[in-house]
Amino acid sequence: MKIGRQKDDLGGRVPPNQRLTRGWPVLHASPVPKFNPAIWSFRVWGEVENEIELTWDEFQALPPVQTQSDFHCVTGWSKLDNTWDGVSFRTVADRAAPKPTATHVLIHAEYGYTANLPIGAVLDDDVLFAWSHDGEPLEPQHGGPLRLVVPKLYAWKSAKWVRGVKFMDRDERGYWEVRGYHNKADPFREERYSWQE
Amino acid sequence: MADDPKTPQEIWALIERADERVKYASNRDEKAAYGQARELLNQAAAAAKAVPGAEKLAEQAQIRLDDLAKLESA
Repeated sequence: MKIGRQKDDLGGRVPPNQRLTRGWPVLHASPVPKFNPAIWSFRVWGEVENEIELTWDEFQALPPVQTQSDFHCVTGWSKLDNTWDGVSFRTVADRAAPKPTATHVLIHAEYGYTANLPIGAVLDDDVLFAWSHDGEPLEPQHGGPLRLVVPKLYAWKSAKWVRGVKFMDRDERGYWEVRGYHNKADPFREERYSWQE
Repeated sequence: MADDPKTPQEIWALIERADERVKYASNRDEKAAYGQARELLNQAAAAAKAVPGAEKLAEQAQIRLDDLAKLESA
């Protein structure tokens, strides 16, 4: 299945105070982890009917999706027209069957990195766990083997090196949100800092 | 070193600069980048203790100094 925007002009696609980049800057707040597919696992737990744990092979066997979307980093650059391949967040959520009490998720990644999101934000069609970018396997420095992609929000919500999702009945701030960055992170509203909340 | 920051906004700007040093460290000399981040954070922490209303920023600086220590020992 292919989901995404049609090509159009740039009108309205670049959030305020962002500059376009053709490259893809590398940034993260931890070392790049080593990937071992033999021991890698992906866990979904919390406010769900079916807790699940998938191996790398099992995760890759989920129904794939391809999306095209833009990407906006809070440090000021935007990268347009990215093609992502992976598994939609909704596919993973459907298997876990969130309880009616689930209102938020906390994404868990390597080195204890976390990012919090409301359920409504992650069930959008353009949100996926991506293993490929522009037709190539996702490079480790960009989050490979697997990263979350949440195009409508600043990119710190698109956690690299994801290893699981906890469905929650409340909100809990993630790594950067605890460190003074905005809980919602909408780039078109320039929701950069927690003092704006 | 630049003048000491005198407002919470100026202190936060130092912290944000430190964040960027850390985030982009893998593109350059990591040790030097972490050192620059630490210098900015120490300056921010000292200023936050002296500027009324900036106490939370001292906590923010300290969280990052702790993060840096973990990064450097990883």
